[in-house]
Amino acid sequence: MKKIFNWMMIFAGVFAAQAVSAQVRPPLSIDVNYSVASPLGSLQDYSGKTSFRGWTAGLQYMLNDQFSVGLRTGFQDFNEKLPRAVYPDKLGDVSAVQTRTLQVIPIQATAGWAFTKPDKPVIPYAAVGVGVANMDYKKYWGEFVESDNSWQFMVSPELGINIPFGQASPVLFNANVRYNYSPYKMGDITNFNSLQYSVGFKFHLN
Amino acid sequence: MKRTIYLLSSIAALAALISFSGCGKDPLKDMTPEESRIYITNHDSQANFKSYNTFSIVDSVAVLSNRNDTAKKALTDYDKQLISSVSQAMQSRGYTLVDKAAKPDLAVALTRIDNSFTNVAWNPGWWGGVWSPGYWGYPGGWYWPSYYVVYQVNEKQTAIDVFDLKNPNADNKYVSVWNALWRGSGVWNTDNVASMVQASFDQSPYLTNK
Repeated sequence: MKKIFNWMMIFAGVFAAQAVSAQVRPPLSIDVNYSVASPLGSLQDYSGKTSFRGWTAGLQYMLNDQFSVGLRTGFQDFNEKLPRAVYPDKLGDVSAVQTRTLQVIPIQATAGWAFTKPDKPVIPYAAVGVGVANMDYKKYWGEFVESDNSWQFMVSPELGINIPFGQASPVLFNANVRYNYSPYKMGDITNFNSLQYSVGFKFHLN
Repeated sequence: MKRTIYLLSSIAALAALISFSGCGKDPLKDMTPEESRIYITNHDSQANFKSYNTFSIVDSVAVLSNRNDTAKKALTDYDKQLISSVSQAMQSRGYTLVDKAAKPDLAVALTRIDNSFTNVAWNPGWWGGVWSPGYWGYPGGWYWPSYYVVYQVNEKQTAIDVFDLKNPNADNKYVSVWNALWRGSGVWNTDNVASMVQASFDQSPYLTNK
């Protein structure tokens, strides 16, 4: 109960702060990014190739000059085709060309903190996304597929920069690096870990 | 507030559009028939493959279809190629081909399975019934070790079964000591037989009396 009260106080504080701060750009923004992701850990053992098929999109609200909250989604497709090999399996020994895929669609709430005021030419920031991700796992043995689809918890800390096109421009260039973690377990995957690099734009809406 | 709702819904629409419009690569689209095929082999871990010297192979191939209860025997070009490739592979592993009347140590049965129309529960080795021990002049039935796993099929397949005629078990059944099952595109294509036989034997190095 005390915790909730503390949170309420924090939010009341930031809203009050927003009211008094001079705004450089409107508080609401949307962002769209293209992203590339490298699989890490057991995900790399399952499907080791860097994914060039990904994007993210989000919505952010500046509570004051530096603190923002938001919501975001995205998509990343991990895909690797392995040459024919023999896999010992419960069925016996199976010779197959394996195509191992994992498609991830996160839905996360975000909180961000800008390290500088919004009138600077470069605005570095840190953010964290917490939410769920839809994991669509498909392991093809030749043309036969072993599949699993489930929702998992996912947390994603992020570091990035926003570069406005002019001091008070509502359009900003964005580049960020995000680490994604999910306790997803399926076949060879013991945990989902990826490093995601994104570039895109952020538009403040009036 | 209205604007926020519009924004949220347009983002949701965009996300839905990209997620469900097949942004992910479809692995089946750039897969060759060779890549689509899988070769499953199984063997009886108790069997001593060095203890066998001779084998006999069926003179035609049983064709099973889920549309027809009674199996037919066929001898198409595919079947001739299958008989000859499997015979050669067995001989290259040191087994001598003999007539079925000459009391071979091993019986080799060949079966084509057509389940293209409906799903049926796959009883491991159920096709073996076509080539009953009676064909080789023995009473009784076949026996499959329990780890021959059951699963569903809905396709064309080819199976090779090798049975031990020398050591019937306590119930007077003959144990399946080796089995290969081919699944995928083109398993009933004559041109693919030699390479599929090769692959099946290559992944079964224990199947030799050398």
